[in-house]
Amino acid sequence: MTETFYDVMRRQGITRRSFLKFCSLTAASLGLAPAFAPKIAHAMETKPRIPVLWLHGLECTCCSESFIRSGHPLAKDVILSMLSLDYDDTIMAAAGHNAEAIVTEIVEKYKGNYILAVEGNPPLAEDGMYCIIGGKPFVEQLKYAAESCKAIISWGSCASWGCVQAAKPNPTRATPVHKVPGLANKPIIKVPGCPPIAEVMTAVVAYLLTFEKLPTLDRQGRPQMFYSQRIHDKCYRRPHFDAGQFVEHWDDEAARQGHCLYKMGCKGPTTYNACSTVRWNEGVSFPIQSGHGCIGCSEDGFWDKGSFYERLTDINQFGIEANADAVGGTAAALVGAGIAAHAGLTALNRAKQPGAEKQ
Amino acid sequence: MTVRNTPNGFHLNDAGRRIIVDPVTRIEGHMRCEVNIDEDNIIRNAISSGTMWRGLEVILKGRDPRDAWAFVQRICGVCTGTHALTSVRAVEDALKIKIPENANSIRNLMQLSLQVQDHLVHFYHLHALDWVNPVNALKADPNATSLLQQSISPHNPKSSPGYFRDTQNRLQKFVESGQLGPFKNGYWTNPAYLLPPEADLMAVTHYLEALDFQKDIMKIRTVFGGKDPHPNWLVGGVPCAINIDGVGATGAINMERLNLVSSIIDRTIAFIDQVYIPDLLAIAKFYKGWMYGGGISGQSLLSYGDIPDDANDYSASNLLMPRGAIINGDLTKVHEVDLRDPEQIKEFVPHSWYKYPDESIGLHPWDGITDPHYSLGPNAKGTRTNIEELDEAAKYSWIKAPRWRGHAMEVGPLARYVIGYAQGNKEITEQINFVLKTLDVPVTALFSTLGRTAARGLEAQWAAGKMRYFMDKLITNIKAGDLATANVTKWDPETWPASVKGVGFTEAPRGALAHWLKIENTKIANYQCVVPTTWNGSPRDEQGNIGAFEAALMNTKVERPEEPVEILRTLHSFDPCLACSTHIMGPDGAELTQVKVR
Amino acid sequence: MTELTSAASTAPIYVYEKPVRLWHSLNALLIVVLSVTGYLIADPLASLKGEASEHFLMGYIRFVHFSAGYLIAIALLFRLYWAYAGNEHARQIFLPPLLKAHFWQGVFHEVLWYLFLVKEPRKYIGHNPLAILAMHFVFVWGVLFMIVTGFALYGEGAGQGSWQHTLFSSWVLPLFGSSQSLHSWHHLFMWLIICFVLVHIYVALREDKLSRQSMLSTIVTGWRTFKDVRPVDDESGA
Repeated sequence: MTETFYDVMRRQGITRRSFLKFCSLTAASLGLAPAFAPKIAHAMETKPRIPVLWLHGLECTCCSESFIRSGHPLAKDVILSMLSLDYDDTIMAAAGHNAEAIVTEIVEKYKGNYILAVEGNPPLAEDGMYCIIGGKPFVEQLKYAAESCKAIISWGSCASWGCVQAAKPNPTRATPVHKVPGLANKPIIKVPGCPPIAEVMTAVVAYLLTFEKLPTLDRQGRPQMFYSQRIHDKCYRRPHFDAGQFVEHWDDEAARQGHCLYKMGCKGPTTYNACSTVRWNEGVSFPIQSGHGCIGCSEDGFWDKGSFYERLTDINQFGIEANADAVGGTAAALVGAGIAAHAGLTALNRAKQPGAEKQ
Repeated sequence: MTVRNTPNGFHLNDAGRRIIVDPVTRIEGHMRCEVNIDEDNIIRNAISSGTMWRGLEVILKGRDPRDAWAFVQRICGVCTGTHALTSVRAVEDALKIKIPENANSIRNLMQLSLQVQDHLVHFYHLHALDWVNPVNALKADPNATSLLQQSISPHNPKSSPGYFRDTQNRLQKFVESGQLGPFKNGYWTNPAYLLPPEADLMAVTHYLEALDFQKDIMKIRTVFGGKDPHPNWLVGGVPCAINIDGVGATGAINMERLNLVSSIIDRTIAFIDQVYIPDLLAIAKFYKGWMYGGGISGQSLLSYGDIPDDANDYSASNLLMPRGAIINGDLTKVHEVDLRDPEQIKEFVPHSWYKYPDESIGLHPWDGITDPHYSLGPNAKGTRTNIEELDEAAKYSWIKAPRWRGHAMEVGPLARYVIGYAQGNKEITEQINFVLKTLDVPVTALFSTLGRTAARGLEAQWAAGKMRYFMDKLITNIKAGDLATANVTKWDPETWPASVKGVGFTEAPRGALAHWLKIENTKIANYQCVVPTTWNGSPRDEQGNIGAFEAALMNTKVERPEEPVEILRTLHSFDPCLACSTHIMGPDGAELTQVKVR
Repeated sequence: MTELTSAASTAPIYVYEKPVRLWHSLNALLIVVLSVTGYLIADPLASLKGEASEHFLMGYIRFVHFSAGYLIAIALLFRLYWAYAGNEHARQIFLPPLLKAHFWQGVFHEVLWYLFLVKEPRKYIGHNPLAILAMHFVFVWGVLFMIVTGFALYGEGAGQGSWQHTLFSSWVLPLFGSSQSLHSWHHLFMWLIICFVLVHIYVALREDKLSRQSMLSTIVTGWRTFKDVRPVDDESGA
């Protein structure tokens, strides 16, 4: 990433002449004096900011909203000084063809040297037409932008796992980025959460720029620095868990004293995220601190594990949705009943054949 | 070629050149817009199409109603929480659950903080670039900006020339880098931008300042809901417990938490009063000659009302945000709105990508059906997966067409404010009169793109004030010894009747929002949401009525068809909530590419 | 069919060596402890009042569960060694002769016996073929599943870099998709093992009375005694 964009353009076979023309067109398009063109050229030759294409598929924009809540660095500093956020339909000035043209321009000019950030995911059912960009399926735009990128950031649980639209029965066949058929094989950094914590998002970006490499990822593709421990492992209410002090009902005495929310279905023990340490909105709080259990929003398939308020969650493999105790308890009861019946039959059988005893 | 008059009074003519905007950016969600312009570049036919569908109604079937808020909250991360609040209200309505007073105050604080933040972000970050030219700000004299600032907002401490010069320098450096990021390919040379450089510099400075500040407003929601976006909610109350001076108070809402919320409210009120409202008025002064975009705002408006003063009373008299319907442009009569009445709200799908057994009739949401059915009409151009031009005579949008007593309605801040004005709501009337007087425009000026944008700002100001009101109310109630935040008597599904139905509503930042659900054997049997953008962005119905987006675009003059900033302006004034992305094509898909900004 | 005509007698045979018997009793104890503590981890006892520092109830329950988990794993390792080092009966439940027709005929016969369709069972020195099948597939693999998933869950707490995480969590977690699913399956298999135990105890009691060889005394003393003099039907003939 130390390469300047001028270098990159040169490597793509763009001549210095057309590079300068590009700079003067940029100045002209802004209604600036021609004197700006050399300054732009100078900046691009020496001070590159890595271009980012931030695409949106089926999503709710909570990732973008989270991103702008970042306190350190501030979102404005990320946008003005760290990256070149050339395409992000939520905030970009350009619209329509002018917006689409940016994708093409970045893909062609910065081959292999831009970041593709994906918020949301493509639906594959109905030929992809559950999410239409420019009259075409979003999945086409995604594949096109992925072809030449340096790396992909899958923002949030939609891009990472599928999230709510992929919850059963997933009517649109919403598919997380890494499972999109035919997608170029690029490094994918998953930053799950619904949404991810703002400062985690900006930290991933800052890490890329500061250390000039991809963060270490765990087996599921998440940056190990933020996703290697469960919320439970570092929860400030953990001592109450170990002590056996639980909230039994909403707003009971234990709730008012901040006891453990395990019995209220808290998914902190099974959720890998940084909520209990980084916390939310510049460290103001996190779900457990504000009295509601974690719903596990950074975990794969968290929507389909039964109620958020049950400790034992559903196993869906049996066609019916039931938790382990319901399945197991029923099985044990059936086995018990079977044994009793069999024992009874055995006794009956023996009574019928009094002389049949062996030996 | 089709020429016809719609029942709601618009003359459609699709003879002229077709301009296509897909996707529309700076909105939430995915949207496409097509218009026909005549030889004078005036829009004579407009089509708005929602271009995404996620199927949440289908996904919700069979789920635990107590979980529903989390699912529907993910409908939108921008107006985050408002769907969740609507959902818990719908479940509470169905199960007849009464919530404690404190829960009502806390929910109102969360909802009002969303109104303020969402309006603020909309104005500065989604809408401002339709009026403000950041590149032009480079030409400004910071001293002039300073003088302008001091004249419009004498109490704003950040008004020195140096303050604006710093921003200008930063902007200059940014532009000189040649990497324009989000400002890339804007229509910066378009004559539709009317602000002088000093005003542009002021607005751009506040663009950045508001970006910093908006995140602080949402800390209120993080205190009570644990995170934002997508805070946590609870059927029966709120999840956060209150403990002011007992053992373990640090684990609950305590004095420190209340102080944090209170200080944010104070700063929010100051920001709205000293920055947002003065900017809004200053910009409006330059554009008050641009009175397009009224659409149906002068004739059909709808609001469900919100912000119950006392807990559990959802009657109009207890709602601080007005409730009612105006039809046929008759402001003297505000109609009662009943969400349970099967004759009032109905959804139609003849032009939506869904199917009903009989599409000539509309369905009340309790009996609603969401069955996707994607197809293009015979006159559509392009292919199934490469739409060049929609056929508005057939199905053309992922949005259904809701109608109130058969009328297409506009919802949102303007609807709320006009209805409040018509009802003689004192606070609203005072605010509106102040703006009309300051800008020296008649009351009819409200029915415009600018009117919509102004109403949003006024509502942000109103909401910030009401945050103070509910904060005081919460403290008073706690002082009286009431700490309750949740009612758990019906938490256990075993206490529920076998079959019930309910409806919950709010006024989302973008307008009237309601969820209808049926619960059978403790599981969701049917769940239907009618969201603000379903009202505003609705396609045509079986009568041919056009929706609010389409109506508002009608008869607007577009200066440069290849740079339709006017279309964006008007669409953005509704703050559409679909998801984000925009794309303009010429009629042949190529013609306009020659003028694209490179 | 192997007919064992030679020297068939009622003479007792030493079947279960001491380590096998010890393993059996230890397993019985550990399964009870693991099931009870495991259940209480998923569905804890009523909350305790007072300061958190005064209590460590969940901590102790979890400690007991983890300790018992370690023991059952070590015991299985040892037992695997003994399957190699011990007598031929010691490896019976680990290596069922699935490819031998005689074995399946034995299974079939045993099923008929339980369905009251044959008058008498066959005679075995070791386990009957149906028992081998159940012990191998339900018990051995079931316990192995519990050990693997158990260590994977333990590794989550021990953290990346711990051997539990490296050896187990690192690949088991992605296999199940999420920690929550892993917990659910670990919990479900507890019920499978409980079902096995119920059947195991019932058939042991029943066959002690009805079969042609001793049952309960054998697992205590190690010696198998027979109730008739006809030849045994064991595959290996031992």
